[in-house]
Amino acid sequence: MIKIRDLEKIYRTEEVETVALNKISIDVKEGEFVAIMGPSGCGKSTLLNILGLLDDPDNGSFLFNNIEVAHFNERKRAELRKHNIGFVFQSFNLIDELTVFENVELPLIYTGVKSGERKKRVEEVLDKMQIMHRRNHYPQQLSGGQQQRVAVARAVVNNPKLILADEPTGNLDSSNGNEVMSLLTDLNEQGTTIIMVTHSEHDARYSHRIIRMLDGQTVLENIMV
Amino acid sequence: MFSNYLKTAWRSIVRNKAFSFINITGLSVGIAASLLLFIVVQYEMSYDTFQPNYDRIYRVVTQDKFDKDITTNSGIPVPALKALRVELPNIQFGALRSIYGSQITVPSANNGAGNKFIEESGIFYLEPQLFEVFTYHWLAGGPSALKDPNHVVLDERTAGKYFGSWQQAIGKTITLDNFIPLKVSGILQNVPANSNLPLRVLVSFATLQQYGEAYGHYDSWNNTSSNFNIFALLPPGMKAADMNRALLQFSKTHYEPLRGNSIKTNFLQPLAEMHFDRRFESFADHVTSRSTLVTLLLIGVFIILMACVNFINLSTALAVNRSKEMGIRKVLGSNRMQLFKQVMSETTGIVCIAVIVALCIAYLVLPYIKHIASIEEPLSLFTPTTMGMVGGIGAVVILLAGLYPSFVMSKFNPITALKNRMVSASVHGVSLRRGLVVMQFTISQILVIATAVAVSQMNFISKADLGFQKESVLIMNVSADSASLSKEDAFKRQLLQIPGVQSVSFSTDEPSSENMWTTNFAYDHQPDEKYQLALKYADADYLKTFGLQLVAGRPIQPSDTLREGIINETLVRKLGVKNPHEVIGKTIKLGNGKWYPIVGVVKDFKTHSLRDDIKPLFISTQKDFYTRLAIKLRTSQMMATRAAIEKSWNQFYPDYAFAPSFFEEQIARFYRQEEQLSLLYKIFAGLAIFISCLGLYGLVSFMVVQKTKEVGIRKVLGASITSLLQLFSKEFTVLIIVAFFIAVPVAWYMMHNWLNNFVYRVPLNAWFFITAITGSILIAWITVGYKAIKAAVANPVKALRSE
Repeated sequence: MIKIRDLEKIYRTEEVETVALNKISIDVKEGEFVAIMGPSGCGKSTLLNILGLLDDPDNGSFLFNNIEVAHFNERKRAELRKHNIGFVFQSFNLIDELTVFENVELPLIYTGVKSGERKKRVEEVLDKMQIMHRRNHYPQQLSGGQQQRVAVARAVVNNPKLILADEPTGNLDSSNGNEVMSLLTDLNEQGTTIIMVTHSEHDARYSHRIIRMLDGQTVLENIMV
Repeated sequence: MFSNYLKTAWRSIVRNKAFSFINITGLSVGIAASLLLFIVVQYEMSYDTFQPNYDRIYRVVTQDKFDKDITTNSGIPVPALKALRVELPNIQFGALRSIYGSQITVPSANNGAGNKFIEESGIFYLEPQLFEVFTYHWLAGGPSALKDPNHVVLDERTAGKYFGSWQQAIGKTITLDNFIPLKVSGILQNVPANSNLPLRVLVSFATLQQYGEAYGHYDSWNNTSSNFNIFALLPPGMKAADMNRALLQFSKTHYEPLRGNSIKTNFLQPLAEMHFDRRFESFADHVTSRSTLVTLLLIGVFIILMACVNFINLSTALAVNRSKEMGIRKVLGSNRMQLFKQVMSETTGIVCIAVIVALCIAYLVLPYIKHIASIEEPLSLFTPTTMGMVGGIGAVVILLAGLYPSFVMSKFNPITALKNRMVSASVHGVSLRRGLVVMQFTISQILVIATAVAVSQMNFISKADLGFQKESVLIMNVSADSASLSKEDAFKRQLLQIPGVQSVSFSTDEPSSENMWTTNFAYDHQPDEKYQLALKYADADYLKTFGLQLVAGRPIQPSDTLREGIINETLVRKLGVKNPHEVIGKTIKLGNGKWYPIVGVVKDFKTHSLRDDIKPLFISTQKDFYTRLAIKLRTSQMMATRAAIEKSWNQFYPDYAFAPSFFEEQIARFYRQEEQLSLLYKIFAGLAIFISCLGLYGLVSFMVVQKTKEVGIRKVLGASITSLLQLFSKEFTVLIIVAFFIAVPVAWYMMHNWLNNFVYRVPLNAWFFITAITGSILIAWITVGYKAIKAAVANPVKALRSE
């Protein structure tokens, strides 16, 4: 599903040049659950942003479902992103002005799904995430665990092929964290590819494979048994 | 999608209550203010536009070119009417003569003497042909009603005033000035108030053939009265320039043989210019200068701009807080155009709310603005034009206020936005915001300076030494018919018996008036001078009644006819005489060709308004020209004195209504438009300052939130409250000073031009500018102060913990 080769990302200011990704090459197959680990500043998030088509690399190749997307413009990236990729963030990133239902509905609006169909799909996913009873609440009225469940619901409502999770349990206690990890595992078992950035060895153990990074490069790959 | 935008927009408004309030208040006040100004301007621009042939109607006016001077007159000699019809047969001409302050007596069953009405304006002797030039709607009768002498047409309102209803007026007889019987033969639908021809009482022009002299209507090429006007309707396709060429030839033919001391020409004044050209009189209650309207329009545009500036400033500042939302939307698949549309929809939402609030404000305030602008017409906010204007203003505001914030927010990098790394500086709006604050304060300081100058000029006018006493002088019209004239002396004697009456004088007009009676003249048996001499006819008590002072010679002797005269200092100077005593005993030849001795020189007084120079003047007696009575009252028991005067009046002139006014009020009317402008400046400068402060308050509130951590750290490190206050106020103070330096030349240029309208004016000194900058800085500090002090005295631990 994902094939990147010699990917480079360099951040430049007037005086300093920081290499965030240094000719990195990774493959991710469809249905895989991959965890990316490494110390702060090693390039995990930069990699995730490029994989999520939020950022573009300076050099190298990025094939997404066999399509070269490394140099797509913003409009094309947005188009590809909204149909294929779901995001889960450490800080949930729900829109405070929208209710639970409306937050989950948002990706469907951007993909042009009709109102009736949207309602059905949002209710289904909220039900699945066991958060239906909170559908009319605003994010600030929910606990952290509930907010992250809403974020997961929003990430999957469009049935994306790939979910990118950036430290999804970073702001949660262990019980809520485990709950979110179980949700991601369930999704993966249903066929969704998941790439997760984490600092937690415990969370990484839910994945099939751990890629360890240092200074913008992959240094080790562990296959989980 | 759109409903989602609206939902988010509404919730964002509710969530950011304080900012929304500032935005909506600023925009509402701005939209309401500019809407009201635009309505006033649109009304002033609409004069006579209801006439179907508006673009083809012209007035034939007159110009006299002297050696160093040009005078203009809205009238034309009476014989020109016949000559024009003969020489330019393809043009449709119609004539009228206006009369002022006449009395209409309406027969009444209850009142044997009839009901008397003094009509200050709106009475015209009018040709039926005028209705071929102008179009009016008739309720009864038609133009032919004015074919024969002693017929009158009333408008619906006046007919109702005289007879209860217009239907009852038809066929009745009224009396004009107690000696002209007039049969009501037609009723005209009320002429809109935005007309230069307020037709109320229309007497058939043929009546003038019998009574012309009583109204100064002389069939002579030597006499041009501004009250006698000829209007022309040009045929379709004919250009005014072609007609003006024909009029030039016409002038040569008819005026050259007269060999006056000027070159007299007739030319066309478009109907479209009648309301704006101050060189000529209009029959409407006022003439508006286009520069006043442009000033009002500019103020309207300025205020809208300021409200938009607030919106842009606050929106871009708030964008930092909204960056996360924009980031999420981008991650979830929104493209830049969708985000742009979203922010524009939000702006549209806020502007729509502001427009509704603005309409409510405008609805409540409109009656006051109408009063200030002296608009009599019932103006409605809910007309297609006004609604179009509201739509236009709304659209402009949405574009002005929405485009930049939409552009900024849709451009956010989602990665930075999601990580909450957006800070105020990274929104690329800081220098723009500074620029906009400078713009706001430039505008408000221009308005403050303009207001200070206008108010100061108005104070100067009200306190200026006009050279005569205007206080406690009662003035009124008197009839110049022979019966009234014969009673004048006895009436005067009786008035002087009243203890509260100090002095009484009959004259053609007061010392300062709109009278333009001028003549060519010669001094001391020399050839005719190259300029005109202003004339005032008055009895021997004129100087005493108005407190005029002689600098040489003696007052004129009582006389019923023109025997001798006094002149003013201006004329002495213009004649090249240094010592006023030298002119005593010399003679002056007036337009009638006779020589009259000069017996005195009066100290200069303002012969017209302070807009005009003092004219060279000749004052003499001529009883049968007196149409004005002035009574100088003692200041004690004025009410009782007035009652005693009225009693005497009714005894001597039972057929004439007693309708006096105070001379001071007449003087004030000269400057009504300047007073109105000064008041409008005050109101809108106040609004401009309010809107600027509102924006400043919003920005400072935002700055306080942004700088919470910085303030905490500075306090921990030992910063004093004063230094923290400086942190907030320094930037704005600098911006206001920058704005001041931009405002000064603009305001100076603007007000220098405005003051040039007055011959007598206040100097444009530094104090106006110092007041503006000091006032602006003080107001800004007060605005910034509250929020800044609150932030500066807050517990630093709390600030740092919250970070």
